[in-house]
Amino acid sequence: MSTQLMSDIIAAINEFDGEKVKSASRKALEANISPVEIIQQGIAAGLLEIGKKYETGELFVTHLVAAAEAAKGAIKDVLEPEIRKAGTDGIGGPRVVLATVKGDIHDIGKNIVGAMMFSAGFDVIDIGKDVENEFVVSKVKEFDAKILGLSALLSTTIPEMRKIIELLEKENLRDKVKVIVGGAPVTEQYAREIGADAYAENAAEAVAVSRKLLGMN
Amino acid sequence: MPKYGRKSGYLRFLSDEDCEAIHQSAIEVLETVGMKCESDKIIDIFDKAGAEINKEKRLIYIPEHLIKEGLQKAPKKVTLWGRTPGTELVLYGNYVHYGLGGTPCPNVLDIETQEIRQSTKQDAANFAKLCNALPMVEFAMSIAGALDVPREVEYIHEFEVSFKNLEKPLIHPVPGVEANEIVIEMAAAIVGGHEELRKRPIFSAYCETAQPLVFVKENDNMILNAKAGIPVTLGPAAMMGATAPATLAGANVVTVSENLASIALTQIVAPHSPVIFGAWASVMDPYTTRCLYASPEFALGTAVLCKQMANFYGMPNFGFAGPSDSKMPDAQAGAEAMEICLMNALMGNNLLHDGGYLASGGVGSLEMCVIIDEIFGYVDRILRGIEVTPKHLAVDVIRDVGPGGNFLSHRHTLDNLRDTMYLGRLFDRTSEEAWVKAGSKDMFTVANARVKKLLAEHQPAPLEKDVEATIDKLVADSHKKLVK
Repeated sequence: MSTQLMSDIIAAINEFDGEKVKSASRKALEANISPVEIIQQGIAAGLLEIGKKYETGELFVTHLVAAAEAAKGAIKDVLEPEIRKAGTDGIGGPRVVLATVKGDIHDIGKNIVGAMMFSAGFDVIDIGKDVENEFVVSKVKEFDAKILGLSALLSTTIPEMRKIIELLEKENLRDKVKVIVGGAPVTEQYAREIGADAYAENAAEAVAVSRKLLGMN
Repeated sequence: MPKYGRKSGYLRFLSDEDCEAIHQSAIEVLETVGMKCESDKIIDIFDKAGAEINKEKRLIYIPEHLIKEGLQKAPKKVTLWGRTPGTELVLYGNYVHYGLGGTPCPNVLDIETQEIRQSTKQDAANFAKLCNALPMVEFAMSIAGALDVPREVEYIHEFEVSFKNLEKPLIHPVPGVEANEIVIEMAAAIVGGHEELRKRPIFSAYCETAQPLVFVKENDNMILNAKAGIPVTLGPAAMMGATAPATLAGANVVTVSENLASIALTQIVAPHSPVIFGAWASVMDPYTTRCLYASPEFALGTAVLCKQMANFYGMPNFGFAGPSDSKMPDAQAGAEAMEICLMNALMGNNLLHDGGYLASGGVGSLEMCVIIDEIFGYVDRILRGIEVTPKHLAVDVIRDVGPGGNFLSHRHTLDNLRDTMYLGRLFDRTSEEAWVKAGSKDMFTVANARVKKLLAEHQPAPLEKDVEATIDKLVADSHKKLVK
């Protein structure tokens, strides 16, 4: 029974059908499977399949984002409330805070990074676009983030990245969080200049770099 | 090159009904979906003009009559001026002009080490100088950001080196109203005041809305430039499957909508101010998420859609030269550059830009610039077409020479061969023996040598001393105003 329920969730993720993932997750809860197990055996397994198909070129980034969104809906609306009821906190996985910096509303790159990191098992907290530097730092602190991902498209807004890093230093948070930067005008050299921990050229690299920075394999 | 450009318009893909369908779809989008607007100023302008506003969601629903009035008032012929008289370009109809660069790249291919590295102000200056020297190039944008100065004033420094090294017309982005005002002061100093600048604007401001359907705060400078008589060049860069529907026509509906909204805005604040239409469709690579600059869909999305919709509205337009997704000037780069150049030229796009881009706009290459100058030569010859007159049919000449003779020394040959051919400046046409004897050089090596030679020898006409001093002071002062 349990195996069939998990297969249903995996199948729903492979169909990118958010409503189906939710209803299959509810059925699994009704069958007294723990929410953590549903995430691990059902949702994460489904995302892993999608990830493998993306790596072989069978699926596109767009499929990956669609699968992540379908999975996220079930976690947020169905499974996470149950986990919190049980007194534990969140879905596990290293915490990542993502933001598009102040003055910049171009957030599609950040959204793709968020979907990819979520699919790779990170606990992603996306705080949006055009956000104040102080807000970014307060969220890093509030969620005890291990990774802070900053994105920008305009070369006039990327100086905010340096200011956020300076603010992290001022708040004594700099050594608690790894900062990764990306976006069209950002270069490897710029990342070094502003004291970021890493530059990621695309979403897949953001995942790889984050894993490396946190010593994961 | 002729100031009215090279006549073209040989190709056509869409029917009048297709264009009408795209137009009607865009009108429906503007009336019922609306433009999101981050700027209070722009919301206010549309509000007063009679558009329906959703203040809470910051949406502007633009009625068809405002679009029609905008299109009616926008000039159908626009002139771009260079700082040296005689370099001006008239844009209208299907006449083609050749240019290099686009928005500044973050990296360049170093001409000494052949490594990809972060670009500098010196790279921006070298590019402007090279564009001034290259014979086919009629206007310039950028391939290298001045990333070794504070980012808040990057664009001011780029304008400084472009104005100093380029006598031809310049198109450049100017994000931010404050920076834009300083650039207008620089241009006014060069031409001799603001009134003169209105008559002879020596740059065009490249302005991008954000996709899909967003006026950003930076778009306030459309208002500033329209009021100052500076031509506004529009270029929303929608990516199919990411910031626009995953179909060419659907993506074009998004960018045409943004263009129509921007044209309406400029014509409300400054009736009859010059605007250049630029509504294309590009595609996101579904594996890497890169915006592809030379895919066949990009050729269709730029050359075809932008031009045919511009012609539908009778507007001058912005097209593409030879960007590439390759990382160096290799066979892929050459093939892609020719694909985009030739398609855009055959369609009759007015301004061919983005030549010199490698790595989908991530890397600028001066070698690629000289290669594209040669491609322009080839393309321009193709646009000149085939003349069929009694003189060109040459029956009397054939009779003169007779069966078994030759045409080598005939007067008709001496009079016509030079005009028939593009003689070539760069691409190798020698024998294999001569090529080996000359060192068996590939095109990258040859282009690199030409870049170095032109940079060493070419001297752009300098600015007057007092004008140069004014510009230097404006640049220095901009740091105090803008660097925080």
